[in-house]
Amino acid sequence: MPSSTSSSEFIRAIPRLPWRGITVVIVVLVFAAAAAWELYVRSIGYGPTLNPTDDLWAQRRRAVKPESVVIIGDSRGWFDLDLGELEKGLGKRPVQLAMGGGCAYPVLADLANDERFHGTIICSVVPRLFFAPPGSPPMDRSGKSVRRSHTETWAQRASQYLAIPLEENMAFLKQDDLTTEALLEELPIPDRPNAQVPPAGPPYFGTIDRERRARMIERCAQPGKLQSKIQQRWLRLFNPPPPPSFIPLEAFLATMQKAQEDRFLDTMKAVEKLRARGGKIVFVRFPVSGELKTLEDKLSPRAQLWEPLLKRTGVTGIYFEDYPELASFVCPEWSHLSAGDSVEFSKRLIPHLRAALQL
Amino acid sequence: MLFNSLTFVVFFTVVVTAYWSMRSWTTRKNLLVVASYIFYGAWNPPFAALLFSTTAMDFWLGARIARAKGSHARRIWLIASVCMNLSMLGFFKYGNFLLENFQWLMARIGILYQPPHLDILLPVGISFYTFHSLSYTLDVYRGVMQPTKSLRDFVLAVSFFPQLVAGPIVRAGDFLPQLLAPPKPQTGRFLWGLALMTLGLFEKVVLADTLLAGSADRIFSYDGPLIALDSWMGVIAFAGQIFFDFAGYSTCAIGAALCLGFHLKDNFRFPYAAIGFSDFWRRWHISLSTFLRDYLYFPLGGNRVGWIRAAINLVIVMFLGGLWHGAAWTFVVWGLLHGFYLVIEHALKAFFGDKAWTDTFAVKVLLGLVTYFAVCLAWVFFRASDFTTATRMLRGMFGGHAHADAILSTREMLQIGTVTFFMILAHWSLRDISIEQAVERLPRWLVTTAWAVMACAIILTQGSSNAFIYFQF
Repeated sequence: MPSSTSSSEFIRAIPRLPWRGITVVIVVLVFAAAAAWELYVRSIGYGPTLNPTDDLWAQRRRAVKPESVVIIGDSRGWFDLDLGELEKGLGKRPVQLAMGGGCAYPVLADLANDERFHGTIICSVVPRLFFAPPGSPPMDRSGKSVRRSHTETWAQRASQYLAIPLEENMAFLKQDDLTTEALLEELPIPDRPNAQVPPAGPPYFGTIDRERRARMIERCAQPGKLQSKIQQRWLRLFNPPPPPSFIPLEAFLATMQKAQEDRFLDTMKAVEKLRARGGKIVFVRFPVSGELKTLEDKLSPRAQLWEPLLKRTGVTGIYFEDYPELASFVCPEWSHLSAGDSVEFSKRLIPHLRAALQL
Repeated sequence: MLFNSLTFVVFFTVVVTAYWSMRSWTTRKNLLVVASYIFYGAWNPPFAALLFSTTAMDFWLGARIARAKGSHARRIWLIASVCMNLSMLGFFKYGNFLLENFQWLMARIGILYQPPHLDILLPVGISFYTFHSLSYTLDVYRGVMQPTKSLRDFVLAVSFFPQLVAGPIVRAGDFLPQLLAPPKPQTGRFLWGLALMTLGLFEKVVLADTLLAGSADRIFSYDGPLIALDSWMGVIAFAGQIFFDFAGYSTCAIGAALCLGFHLKDNFRFPYAAIGFSDFWRRWHISLSTFLRDYLYFPLGGNRVGWIRAAINLVIVMFLGGLWHGAAWTFVVWGLLHGFYLVIEHALKAFFGDKAWTDTFAVKVLLGLVTYFAVCLAWVFFRASDFTTATRMLRGMFGGHAHADAILSTREMLQIGTVTFFMILAHWSLRDISIEQAVERLPRWLVTTAWAVMACAIILTQGSSNAFIYFQF
């Protein structure tokens, strides 16, 4: 009988090659290629920035204290608010939890269900994203981040901490734009005329820091190719896809109507829960410009969703168009403010926030 | 901890450096035990205690089996080990599945029973480490090996981090002997290990996650009817994705083990060049198929019990093989399909096996293609979340939808087509040799270039640390 005290018979073959020399050449090649790629992407306008990962979001979610001021919602609340100015005006440095293309509801529900939280929420509302039905990309995006914050392992946390110094120093570590997948997506290959291919996201136009404060890069703030490319992407992204061919139109519209009604009811419940613990919330409609504004006004008129949202939840709202000092801002790529304008906008928003939150 | 994460890069660097700097073999083994438990505990610390308790229990039961007087007593201790391992697996993996099916069965006979939903978190890799551990008591019982006297060595054999959570299923009998004497440092072995890890990560991060996963996910999660082209593309994408995902993990595991001086057997041998289904299972997840063969198929009588019993045995083995993958009937159907494929193949072999024309190149290629497409058909059940999705996919694949949609971009289809073409070409070119032989035959400049390109592609791809598909099993 073979015993556990006899030596193993199985030995893997090792290819007979000059491994030492091969490895030296590979290390040199890989470093050279990485350095060349880094120099190239910097030369075309990319700079080092943290990636908006679920782990970074989870890190900020953990930073929420019982009385914190928290910003939630979509990318307008993410790009248009300056944490330093808000800290000066509100007395507390807010925690930034808004996200690109995200729906505010899963985060609002998560905070409402967090028994220890009784702070203040500044919630950015883009109707198309706020009322996104379950299973849609905005809901999935926010839901995924919330889930990650509850299930994040020690290994995932450690990876995030290790990634920060790398991403802060290397421009090519830009997950949205410079990965193989993102580069392949940019190939100009025409699709079949009938193919229902989801529209591509916008190219790189902002940086984020350790607090997840997003800032538009200067190249996007100035008129040019990048700016017009992003504008066209917003129009495609904000145009609703055609209704599915496999569900009768009436049934589809009824489902959407129900999803919208459910969102009203769920939001009311979340707001009630939050208020019962002494928490506060304000809804904010951030500036939008150009053709995108026309499209948004057409698809979700103020009276259709914004006004009922305030009425049914009893929450005070700040609509940028109602105040000349807020309405005067122009979004360079139609959807977000430039980094400089976001500071000024935040300053001007503070009195309205203080009034809405009764501070 | 995932191989495709920064944490693992740091963890592995620290472990390998410390391991080869230590002189004492005992200290090195202790280091590997600690490292393996950190690797596992980084996911969910309490489950490391579960891993240790089942391991310790099997260690003790192995000793009892070896010391027991008489076959009856030996069998009792073995049954205790099998029950302990399978009940652990049953509770964590199949608890809710069993309750739901029991509820369904009761409803059929008119009893309305509402079982509580058990909020059970599945310990990652439980199916793998349970089999690592179980192989020990089974082999001690079968007289294939003597029990080890060292609990530490057995703990290391079960928990050795490269193969702990997603295989290969390394039998204690293959691993324990390697713990007797320290491996000598060898530069070639270490660097070949790193090359294999690069290959494995390239398969996972670049080929599976970046080029195939997105398309497969979109197709299988689409609620509407799809045209045949998109349906087939989705299935073919998944066939490639699951191969590169799982084979990539196994290759990483083999490479990581080699860096530490340990030798693990192949888990994949170019399966999409299989001619027939027996050949497929000699090439796909070899550690599971040989486990099921040795510990289930042979004890059932294998093929020495007449062709009807042999066919039944095959179906039983594949049924359980399917169930091993997940607590859902779709996995069972996947397993059963493979069982039926094997039965049909055995029957055809009995009729045509000795005919000269079956050995011609053209027939082999044809049979290879038939095998590939039959395997793809079975993947539909493996990937679909339920039978509604599977049925819709199958209908789509055979043009059964009157008004169907096209949802893949031309780029996605080109990616799937290109990766699949080169994957099948590589499998057919290498089907009769090992990766080591293939590498040895290549010119040095090509080996260097290929390795460098793979490393650069991994860095460029970055990825978001997606979990390996087989972690859920």
